[in-house]
Amino acid sequence: MRRFLLVLLITLSLVGRAAADDLLVFAAASLTDAMTELGKTWAAQSPTKVAFSFGSSNDLARQTRAGAPADVFFSADVEQVAALERDGLIDPATRRDLLSNLLVVVVPIDSKATITSAADLAGVERLSLGNPDGVPAGRYARAWLQSQGVWDRIAPHVVPAVDVRAALAAVASGNVEAGIVYKTDAAISPKVRVAFEVPRAQGPAIVYALAPLKASKNPEAAAFARFLAGPTATPVYERLGFVVLPVR
Amino acid sequence: MSTGDALDIVLFTLRIAALGTALLLVPGVAVAYGLSRYRGPGMGAIETLLSLPLVLPPTAVGLALLELLARNGAFGGWLVAHGVDVLFTWKAVLLATMVMSFPLLVRSARTAFEEVDPRLVGIARTLGCRPLAAFLRVSLPLAWRGILAGTVLAFARALGEFGATVMVAGNIPGRTQTLALAIVQETQVGRDDSARMLAAVTVVLAFVTLWTAELVTRRHARRDAR
Repeated sequence: MRRFLLVLLITLSLVGRAAADDLLVFAAASLTDAMTELGKTWAAQSPTKVAFSFGSSNDLARQTRAGAPADVFFSADVEQVAALERDGLIDPATRRDLLSNLLVVVVPIDSKATITSAADLAGVERLSLGNPDGVPAGRYARAWLQSQGVWDRIAPHVVPAVDVRAALAAVASGNVEAGIVYKTDAAISPKVRVAFEVPRAQGPAIVYALAPLKASKNPEAAAFARFLAGPTATPVYERLGFVVLPVR
Repeated sequence: MSTGDALDIVLFTLRIAALGTALLLVPGVAVAYGLSRYRGPGMGAIETLLSLPLVLPPTAVGLALLELLARNGAFGGWLVAHGVDVLFTWKAVLLATMVMSFPLLVRSARTAFEEVDPRLVGIARTLGCRPLAAFLRVSLPLAWRGILAGTVLAFARALGEFGATVMVAGNIPGRTQTLALAIVQETQVGRDDSARMLAAVTVVLAFVTLWTAELVTRRHARRDAR
């Protein structure tokens, strides 16, 4: 029995993984590559390690609201951040509207489809989007299709994905005929081709917002948020195809 | 995904499953024994209630746990006030896998206890054994094979739990990500090779687990026969 308890204690002590003083950053799935790269840059200059959890911004916001131990939140839309501000989880003074992006229609690399307008998507059998009821990329895509007056025809063909990278993966695998993702997502997959880029004037305004979370006990949270909005990070975003917004 | 990351996920999954099963063992056997002896009213209801996690969608169980532990809920708020953060930490993974594994252990152990000849327990009692001693010296040794089978099933279930875990613990790499969660994530982002590799690991783990249990019970069966 004593040996059993000993083994139990050892197991218990081993279960905790990342040290609690590591930074945990919740970031939109579309930021995966930018954050991974910037995380490495940060690690080279700071003793505090940083870990990321990528997903749809709305789900990450939900987890944050439920008490997930995140230190910094980087959303693909301003709505999620505004909601967290209303809940008292983010200080509006620390929020930064940092990046913009464009929507593109992607098709599998070997697809012959030509798409020159939103209306052409009405002929697609299966169109993958981030879930338009929550995922920012899906909501942006729906807003664009609605503004073009074709949403009602396209909606029955939508295959909702849990986040924008899942929508991209569905197109890359060839399991759907087309998808709507960010321009920066399309650029990282060799298995898809951009069939149509939504003109900035036609699509909704895409704004990524960043803020440290008030509940964070990590003294580096604010510093890391500043780092992500700072001069080191800017060229990384631009190289990956994001538009860095000027400070208001 | 690097080999180091994959190894980290495998070890985390094994630790969670091992710890959860170890923590379940004593209460699981106790409940199983209780169920095997209890014949009073409400027996059917209690039994059904305990087995619910077996048949409910794991996501429904996860939702119930999420509501229970929510910071603005009574119990979750109390926990947070005492400095215990459960949701979206490894503790949530542990809890979810334990809840989902519990009925497997109990059902199997209960059947084993029911198969113990009550006359043997009766004889032990007439020879002066107190109830606890009779349990430890007669019922437990006779039922151990069923208990082991249940333990293995519970462990295997914990290794593969997904639905309840994702509800209460999210899918946070390096924090709450188990094998089952990592497979989903890798598939969703199109890293099929990683997903396949992780899936292959789960096959190996499940195989080794079940096979070990099989070997142990068979060896002992031979010894018992002698």
